Amino acid sequence: MADDKSNFSARAGAKRFTEWLFTAPSLLWLAVFFVIPSLLVFAIAFKTADPAGGIGPGWTLDTFANVLRSDYVSVLWRTVWVSCAITAICLLLGIPVGYWIAQQREKYRYWLLLVIIIPLWTNFLIRIFAWRVLLHPDGFLRSALLKLGIISDDVFLLNNLGAVITVSVYTCLPFAILPIYAAAEKFNFSLIEAARDLGASRFKAFVSIFIPGIKRGIYTAIMVVFIPAMGSYAIPDLVGGVDGEMLGNKIAIRASANRNLPEAAALAALLSVIISVPVLLVFLKQKGVLKNVINIRRSSGDSTK
Amino acid sequence: MKKILKYVASAVALCAAIAMCGCGPSKPVLNVYMWSDYIDLDLVKEFEQKYDCKVVIDIFDSNEFMYSKLKAGGAGYDLIQPSSYMAKIMYEQKMIEKLDHSKLPSLAKINRAYLDNLAIDKKMEYSVPYMIGFTCIAYNKDKLGKIPDTWAVFGDSKLKGRMTMLNDMRETIGAALLFKGHSINTTDEKHLEEAKKQIIEWKRNLAKFDNEVYKVGIRSGEFQVVQGYSGDLFQVFAEAPELTWMCPKEGFTMCCDDWAIPVTARNKELAYKFIDFVMTPQNAARNIEFTCFTCPVDGAKEFVSEENRNHPGMFIADEMYKKGEIIQDLGADNAKYIKVWDEIKLAK
Repeated sequence: MADDKSNFSARAGAKRFTEWLFTAPSLLWLAVFFVIPSLLVFAIAFKTADPAGGIGPGWTLDTFANVLRSDYVSVLWRTVWVSCAITAICLLLGIPVGYWIAQQREKYRYWLLLVIIIPLWTNFLIRIFAWRVLLHPDGFLRSALLKLGIISDDVFLLNNLGAVITVSVYTCLPFAILPIYAAAEKFNFSLIEAARDLGASRFKAFVSIFIPGIKRGIYTAIMVVFIPAMGSYAIPDLVGGVDGEMLGNKIAIRASANRNLPEAAALAALLSVIISVPVLLVFLKQKGVLKNVINIRRSSGDSTK
Repeated sequence: MKKILKYVASAVALCAAIAMCGCGPSKPVLNVYMWSDYIDLDLVKEFEQKYDCKVVIDIFDSNEFMYSKLKAGGAGYDLIQPSSYMAKIMYEQKMIEKLDHSKLPSLAKINRAYLDNLAIDKKMEYSVPYMIGFTCIAYNKDKLGKIPDTWAVFGDSKLKGRMTMLNDMRETIGAALLFKGHSINTTDEKHLEEAKKQIIEWKRNLAKFDNEVYKVGIRSGEFQVVQGYSGDLFQVFAEAPELTWMCPKEGFTMCCDDWAIPVTARNKELAYKFIDFVMTPQNAARNIEFTCFTCPVDGAKEFVSEENRNHPGMFIADEMYKKGEIIQDLGADNAKYIKVWDEIKLAK
């Protein structure tokens, strides 16, 4: 009896040890390339700046106080609302697409998913420049809209926030569709039939049965779209106009041309704090935080298959 | 394509250099830290043969990045290529050497018009001017005809949405300062306020502030007037006959990239030899044709091909040095420009 027990605990200990061994590389990776750099960013935000571009010796709270002044707030506000708009449009488009794909016959589904993924094989920057051709002021689209009288002469399709939102939705949409599809695939569609049998309209069944049924997929989609949108830099730089600057562009300018690393770090820290708000909300929304972490992992893991 | 080939060539050269170091008696190595596509690589090979050494080229894309790398202790470079304002900062911080002119006989041929009128380091105490460019306005002459040489073009509301200015506070505020008759290096807040109002007025007509897309945009017809860097624009002009350029009569900015030797250099002798080698008129001519920028060496003109002798980007006329102004570092006063630029970006 006693032998069995010690044997068992030894085996459990060995098992735990191997688990640790397998986790160690990814933990180390996370610590070296994520946790330590993030902490450094937070630390630099409290250092003084030296006008030549270095980091001064002293510590200060001024940089953080400065970052919360009014003109930053308006850039921040623009970043937040543009990101929310991008996320909302991605969900509006992504949920019906995920629903539709999940209802197709299995042999077609993977082809449809492939069609969604294929554009991602082309370089991100090349796709943005392709949009510049598409929305060109003398291009087909604008000429057609002008002829049809839909837009007036002084309306341009490029170099404004509309272009930033359009191109961002285009680049983020596949990442929204995949987790939604993964959740929808596991959804039991006979529940919708049951709702219809009980007298719900098609729309009512979709909203009150299907959407709650795939909410994990939706939460994942929100995070996968909203977080990169908040930090976007290249898209506002390339298709945005005179008023298109987002927080990412401000950080880049502070770190390079303005030679003010502490202020860039303070802005980056602020951005991380803001981004962690929706992440925390999503975590707290569900009962078991840990369970949810695993769920999100699973659904995003599924999305890659 | 040409650019890609150059990258491949430099990568191959680098690999070859590493491979060569691995076997046989080790040759002296010169580590150069410079801008990309800024030197004729065949010339570098000739230097290697002449002095039986290896040249390893490493590349940066902004002065600030280069500075922070050296400041953080990124030693091991024997020769660097800061812009003039950055060379001054680095000299003041004792990061680069005072130059020994007895090792640089080529310096006798450096253009006096540039040194006397424009250079920050007029006596070449710590830097040697390598390539000079200027900021100008490019436009589509087929669509717009001849435009007067003035910054006022950005006030033309008929071109609304079809013009860009640079996304660079010193260049763009500088343009408005020149337009208002002030120096681009002013620290007077009244002047800056005037410039700010001017740019906010121009901003209503601009498609964007941009450093990258304008090159493609002016070529594709999306933009009809752009403020841009001479070297970039002359490369576009080579394939676009409908485009032309002008230097505003109110003045324009110029910039120069210099050679400098870091105090931490391990192979200073070879660095001196390299500077002297590339600054001879024959070799300067080859780099001029390679980059489309001006290397201010008298006599280089004789060595370039016939068709390029009157190229406005490769040979900046002496009077341009009197009208142009070079951007200087303003130290703590930079904050004034940053503030004005932030306000311009937010203004409606």
